[in-house]
Amino acid sequence: MDRIRRNKLVIFVLVFPGLLVFTFAVLYPIFMSAYYGMTDWKGIGEFNIVGFENYRKVIFEDKIFRTSLLNAAALAFFTVFVQHPVAMFFAIITDKIGGKLESFFRAVFFVPCVISIVVTSKMWVNVLNSNYGLLNKILDAINLGFLKQDWLGHKDIALFSVIFVIMWQGFGYAYLIYYSGIKGIPEELLEAGRIDGANSWQQFSKITFPMLKPVIMVNVSIAITSSLKQMEPIYLMTNGGPGTRTQFVANYLYMQAFSAQKYSYANAIAVVFVIVCLITTVVVQNIFRSRD
Amino acid sequence: MTSAGYDSPLKNAKTKARALRYIQIILCALMTVGCVFPLIWLIDFSLVKANELFGKNFLVWPKEPHWENYYLALTDGKVPQYLLNSVFVSFVSVGLIVLLSVMMSYGFTRMKWRLSKVFLNIVLLGFMIPIHATLLSNFITFSRLHIQDSPMALIIPYVAFNLPQATFIMTGFMDSVPKEIEESALMDGCSILRLLFTIVFPVLKPAVMTVIITSFINVWNEFIMAATYLTSDRFRTLPFSIYNFAGMYSSNYSAQFAVMTLSALPSLIAYVILNKHITKGIAAGAVKG
Repeated sequence: MDRIRRNKLVIFVLVFPGLLVFTFAVLYPIFMSAYYGMTDWKGIGEFNIVGFENYRKVIFEDKIFRTSLLNAAALAFFTVFVQHPVAMFFAIITDKIGGKLESFFRAVFFVPCVISIVVTSKMWVNVLNSNYGLLNKILDAINLGFLKQDWLGHKDIALFSVIFVIMWQGFGYAYLIYYSGIKGIPEELLEAGRIDGANSWQQFSKITFPMLKPVIMVNVSIAITSSLKQMEPIYLMTNGGPGTRTQFVANYLYMQAFSAQKYSYANAIAVVFVIVCLITTVVVQNIFRSRD
Repeated sequence: MTSAGYDSPLKNAKTKARALRYIQIILCALMTVGCVFPLIWLIDFSLVKANELFGKNFLVWPKEPHWENYYLALTDGKVPQYLLNSVFVSFVSVGLIVLLSVMMSYGFTRMKWRLSKVFLNIVLLGFMIPIHATLLSNFITFSRLHIQDSPMALIIPYVAFNLPQATFIMTGFMDSVPKEIEESALMDGCSILRLLFTIVFPVLKPAVMTVIITSFINVWNEFIMAATYLTSDRFRTLPFSIYNFAGMYSSNYSAQFAVMTLSALPSLIAYVILNKHITKGIAAGAVKG
């Protein structure tokens, strides 16, 4: 028995194909980027090794890189403190509604998540359009016409519009995770609370919220790391503009490589980006673990 | 409600509970509007003339639906071709993701070798690595290997980037499955690979479903790799049709909306049919992942 489970050939056959694909398309490119980042290559032609010059610039001098990180932090902040409380609230009330309506609402809230980001992003570009967009029309209709904006073009508002769209798209995920967490709380606990005369708020703060803690941790760490990794909505809605107001790291490095022809510099950004992601994940998990 | 003050406490509590329930339902209904109204707006204006979008109304009644918008979407938008490409790439990718993750997870959890934990953690590291950081150098690598602008340029990275989550879900599930049945089959001289496909696979069905659903949604909707690694039109996938079409018909909004509606349709239909499985799969994938 033990001999079968230690058979080297079998282990190799099982594990090698997956590891090969993973290494080839995920790990190898990071190492290649680390190397390209040390050159002055433009993507074609000859190049020289320039050492850590690109990395130094990314970390210490690049203001756009810093803006991109701050934008990601803003997105993470709004996701955790706006989207998540709303998602949790709706998870709790749909659970209370029960029956067919509950399944209906649960199904509908997730609809935006199954639609391609390309569709939803382009749809929102139209909804937010200043000439014919749905949002401005609604504002006109309810006599709030003075609030009309070029939602994606205004330098102080664009970031919030982008954040709103990303939160809209991701709402279903956050909701669903809280919802399944609430379904996992044993009914007897809530029943016992009710018998002891707990009101809705006490039920939430004394039973539901503490019981949800593990789920909250998972959900919040997903939110923080995915805020950092946003790209498609930005690429498709504003491409980082106006100016660099809505720039995010992934979109920035993409622009540097394919529009600005700074291939080696873009690779340096990519490597710093990976390191930032790794550090953030480790830090977030450690904070949660020590809280536990 | 006005007489509530005079009612018995029990009745009063009942009225209150009912009022609360109505409020809850109304709030959820408002949220529903928030989630789907933009989509309804999109579909509505895909059926009218482009200039109607500049009118005052939120929605218009398409007295004579302008189906030619959809005709344009199907012909110049090449939706059918992109759809076929998407189907091909997604099925092959998801099939490989399931196969490779089951094999790897079995190797990591059931086989006994010294470095199994190390390699498992290396794969799980993939969770933290952003796809976008690999775009630049994969672009170069793929063109050097002459696989850029082919389905391989999508299938390979799609499989690679979905393996960490799939492996995480599979190893978690395998740990919770007792080994007894396997052991007796092995005693009877069954080989590991046969065991894997005849005995282990069926037991893993719930985890396999979760992996299929999560990775299918990822792969089906993926855009940036498809936009980067494919340079010609031949193998482009569904999300790209909108991007392409927006350039060709930049002022014909209705036709653009028709393309968007059409490309959202397959996933919407799949969701309506499979919604229970999908929501369950997503929740399981997230909490275990």
